[in-house]
Amino acid sequence: MKQVDVTKAAVAVLLAISLAGCVTSRVEDAREGLTGIEEGESIVIMAKSYHLGNETEEKYINCIEKALGNGSKGLRVIPHREFVDSLFPWFEPRTAPAETKNLPKLMERPGVAEKIAQQGIRYIIWLDGDTERVAGGGSLSCAAGPGGGGCFGFAWWQNDADYNASVWDLDGLESAGTVSTDVSGTSFLPALVVPIPLIARTQSKACKSLAGQLRAFIINEETA
Amino acid sequence: MTNTARKALTGLVLAGLIAGCSSNVTLQAPAIPVPLTERIPVSVGLRMPADFYSFVHQEEVYGREEWSIDLGNSNAKFFTQLFGHMFRDLKVLEDGDDPQSFDIDALIEPSIDAFEFSVPNQSKTNSFAVWIRYRLKVYDRGGTLVSNWPVSAYGKSQTKSISNSDALQRAAVLAMRDAAALMIMKFDDVTKISSLAGQPTPVAAPVAVPSTGDSEDDGVQVTGVEGRDDETG
Repeated sequence: MKQVDVTKAAVAVLLAISLAGCVTSRVEDAREGLTGIEEGESIVIMAKSYHLGNETEEKYINCIEKALGNGSKGLRVIPHREFVDSLFPWFEPRTAPAETKNLPKLMERPGVAEKIAQQGIRYIIWLDGDTERVAGGGSLSCAAGPGGGGCFGFAWWQNDADYNASVWDLDGLESAGTVSTDVSGTSFLPALVVPIPLIARTQSKACKSLAGQLRAFIINEETA
Repeated sequence: MTNTARKALTGLVLAGLIAGCSSNVTLQAPAIPVPLTERIPVSVGLRMPADFYSFVHQEEVYGREEWSIDLGNSNAKFFTQLFGHMFRDLKVLEDGDDPQSFDIDALIEPSIDAFEFSVPNQSKTNSFAVWIRYRLKVYDRGGTLVSNWPVSAYGKSQTKSISNSDALQRAAVLAMRDAAALMIMKFDDVTKISSLAGQPTPVAAPVAVPSTGDSEDDGVQVTGVEGRDDETG
């Protein structure tokens, strides 16, 4: 009986793998300074302002927060909304510092340095970029009648996820560097009576790859 | 099927079709956090128009659907919270209250000049955007209009991870927070309200009637709107 269950599970896993679309990814970093994080220090993930035309999705920020906070090497992540509220109004889309050279003046404002120290924030990571559909094609039509229904045809689409993370070190009030990822995924939807979606998890892959590289960048695994 | 049943069914189908073409959003008042700034040392009165307690914006997105956004008393709660955080003392005036009978240095009258929004179909993006233009009129103790400040604010929210209704609500909340940030940063610079602290009440001063005309005709200070992204720094 157990062997049947294992076989079923194996078939399900193989099916799931075979039903995924194609994804290619690239991730890279550019270091400007030494990094590292101590016990009790934390990070915060922010999206660059929409006042500057940035479109980073809330879902993506949440995914990066979760990915960086989980696991045995999980970092202490302060939820971005909590951080923004605690420092109101200095990290609103209109007021947030756009460059590290604005940090010294910001830290001099009443209560700002104290709030940041209280939360143990060592790094602010600014995300920009988004996931976009860049191409698509094919045709698919569905019909239904008294005797049943079905779909015939083939459709495909390509999503590109480009994200860039700027890491600001609040110890020295300077930029520690950037990490970026570029993921391209093509999904397919063939239909012969029943549509079979072969979905490329482009944004999810971009989240995993950027979070993995960010963690290595902050912990500084090369020297650790 | 009887005539009554047929009529009822037709009515239901029609109601369903109509409901399918309209969207209703009710906004909960945003919680404005206590700002990390020093209070402006002025005692102010706040007089809000009736529509701040029951504001409904309706708009038909051309050829598509009708949107109704019920802000309820969000604006009243928003300004009460915000000015409560910003000024030394705040007195919210009721309808019919005479400001000169209160011990206040200045009277602020906010109003809404414009409320606009865009939906993803219009902007060809995945975002809802909301623009609000408030107007703040500041009167001194004697009832003279000393400042007339239009405040434009903008909020944007993605639809991908949340429902359309939630995204529009979030965009409206962000627009209100945007307005709050601007007022906190610029209120005193623009209106010079702190200079009204402790001024004596002028004898036989005329009680100003709020004007809706051009501000230059009022002979008052009109200062440009909001700042740009380099305002912080």
